[in-house]
Amino acid sequence: MDTTKGNEIEEHKLTQHYEVLRELGDCYTTVGNYSQAHRCYEKAAALGPDEPGPYVGLGVAALQTGKLEDAEIAFRVACRLDARCAKAYAGLAMVAQQRGEYPQSFDLYMKSLELDTNNITALLGLFQVSCEMGSFAKVIYYLQVYLESHPGDISVMFALSALYFRDGQTEQAREMLQNLLALEPTSQDAADLLEEVEHTLAGGARV
Amino acid sequence: MGGGPLVSVLLPTYNRRRYLPGALASVLAQTHRELQVLVVRDGGEEVADVVRSFHDPRVVFIDRKENRGKPHSLNEALSRAQGKYVAYLDDDDAWYPHHVETLVRALETETDCQVAYSDLYRVYCETRPGSERVVRSKYVEISRDFDRFLMLYFNHVLHVSLMHRRDLLDKTGPYTESLNILIDWDITRRLAFFSDFHHSLTITGEFYCPLNESDRISDVRRRDSEDYLRNVLAIRTTHPPRPWPKIGELSIILATDHLDQQVGQTLMRIWRHTFYPYRLYLPLPAADLSRLNIGMPNVVLVPVEPQSSVDERVDVALQRIESGYVGIMPAGLPVEDMWIEDPMHAILHNDKGREGFLIEGACNGRWGAVVSRADLQWARQAHPHLSVEASLMACGVRVRRPKPEELAFQFDELLRRGKLASADGDWLVAARLFEQMGRQYRNELWMKTMAARAYCEAGQLEKAGHLSREVNRVRPTIDTLLLEAKVCRQERDFAGAIRLLSRAEQGLSGCMDSSPIRPGTTVQYSQTPGGV
Repeated sequence: MDTTKGNEIEEHKLTQHYEVLRELGDCYTTVGNYSQAHRCYEKAAALGPDEPGPYVGLGVAALQTGKLEDAEIAFRVACRLDARCAKAYAGLAMVAQQRGEYPQSFDLYMKSLELDTNNITALLGLFQVSCEMGSFAKVIYYLQVYLESHPGDISVMFALSALYFRDGQTEQAREMLQNLLALEPTSQDAADLLEEVEHTLAGGARV
Repeated sequence: MGGGPLVSVLLPTYNRRRYLPGALASVLAQTHRELQVLVVRDGGEEVADVVRSFHDPRVVFIDRKENRGKPHSLNEALSRAQGKYVAYLDDDDAWYPHHVETLVRALETETDCQVAYSDLYRVYCETRPGSERVVRSKYVEISRDFDRFLMLYFNHVLHVSLMHRRDLLDKTGPYTESLNILIDWDITRRLAFFSDFHHSLTITGEFYCPLNESDRISDVRRRDSEDYLRNVLAIRTTHPPRPWPKIGELSIILATDHLDQQVGQTLMRIWRHTFYPYRLYLPLPAADLSRLNIGMPNVVLVPVEPQSSVDERVDVALQRIESGYVGIMPAGLPVEDMWIEDPMHAILHNDKGREGFLIEGACNGRWGAVVSRADLQWARQAHPHLSVEASLMACGVRVRRPKPEELAFQFDELLRRGKLASADGDWLVAARLFEQMGRQYRNELWMKTMAARAYCEAGQLEKAGHLSREVNRVRPTIDTLLLEAKVCRQERDFAGAIRLLSRAEQGLSGCMDSSPIRPGTTVQYSQTPGGV
């Protein structure tokens, strides 16, 4: 034993308080207690002024309470702190989407997915915006990529099926829905969409 | 807690005017009210107004302009102390309100020990001019059960977590005023000669570790390695007056037939590398003894006949020895760290009897060992014409090398390996080792906490959560609350995670509620969408 040397301070010893507040903020966000989430993220931001995480959290809390300007500012701060923060771009995309600025929202979701193809919020947001804009090719690609690494993700399988169908790829839509129902036989939305797809394949008219 | 024994709290202060109010307030807020609080200004900034602002008759203020050092201040306070027990606080640290109550209860009702200590948070913080400390984290870094052998080697009990009977100081003697660092170890080491220490597994306060440059005097002085070593050696070689009820006494006989440079070097190495309390016997002819210019403490010069053999010299020295154990050391045997402590540890923990243990490096030409005095005396009386080694053998005393499991500091060796594995990123190896140590040795909570942290780093959150939960059921810490919360979150138990994290946040922001976590939740939350 060397009793003369002091211990080096490990990294986690500098971040504990920050981590507790960020985790707590995330949990409060998940359960919908946005005022508490806001309080925690603000304190976390003070402790970790270079970390984008608390600003993303502040943006989400603001977004959920309809404060779009506050949300945009928070997400922009997060982007400035980390230009590769996929969550911050997804947040900005959500703000744009809520304002009805679909082309801008589409681009921001795309930027987010370029940085993180696993960002489910960006994927589903992109799906929604694509539906609004009638532009499916890019979102189909990203949903396919996502499913390759997350096979069995039912919400994405459903979104992709719907996009295939809207894009006229009816066979692919049917196959995807059959796979989905094999995994989740009780999914009524999937069953309804499959019925519609099969009706189309049988030559019937779309409703 | 009304009534109960009087506790004298010693609070020396030097140039910490900024933090003194917090420290003193934490003392005066103790649930145990029977206190005599001795605040000693050891020179430096004026603090009389700070102390008087509390208007508490329990406070005795010793206002000294000259800076004479912490040991002097403590002795000055002790000279006025009247309590049955003594406790200590530094001027920049803080106790939680139950600190004194916890230790008094332990000493009065839970143990026969005359010394007790609790656990403290080490608080990593930033200090900014003109503002409060910004807390980065709070860790119970050491929650070590009392280990006398380790205490003789180095301190593992924080001074500010310590309480002991005041009358024990009549036996240990006062603080050594020539020391300028390791002052706390000087006293805890001497206390260990007279009492076991009771370890209360409760977090009762915090001490601060500024992340910017430390202003602690002890930290600054530790950077001078020569001065540090001087203090270490002074502490190790200073023994309290006998008898020592808790120490198996050791006498070392330096067995040699002549005095030369090698003997001198061996003496120096013994002085430098021995931490177990000993008395060294030098059986040499008077002419040789007169040539010795020895400044070592604890040395007994034993004049012998010039023509006597080495074995005869051992016999002469043995006649003057009263200790329970004797080490026979031939000059020239290598003296490294643990040279006598390993065989000493083995014999102290040997319940078979009639066994001695060889000193590392001993061989046919240079035989050296630690044996009990009774065995040695018996062997020498029965077979005075044989060599020491042969006489022991003839009497059926088996002298052998200690087995690995009989050596001292096995726990520390494993701990070292675990920390090395952690530093190398072998988190799983470290986690398993810590877990095994928790099962095999004492210090269970500490090891479970270390294992939980390592499992978390290794990505095994479930195991980390399981161990954290076990710790939190007994003595929650912020670290283990955070780990358990992460698992709750993974299991989508958000109410549970919020409960744990809120408690952790409360602990980081102020006083930690250290009562055990009980299963069950009181608030239910459901998940809502909205993340990014």
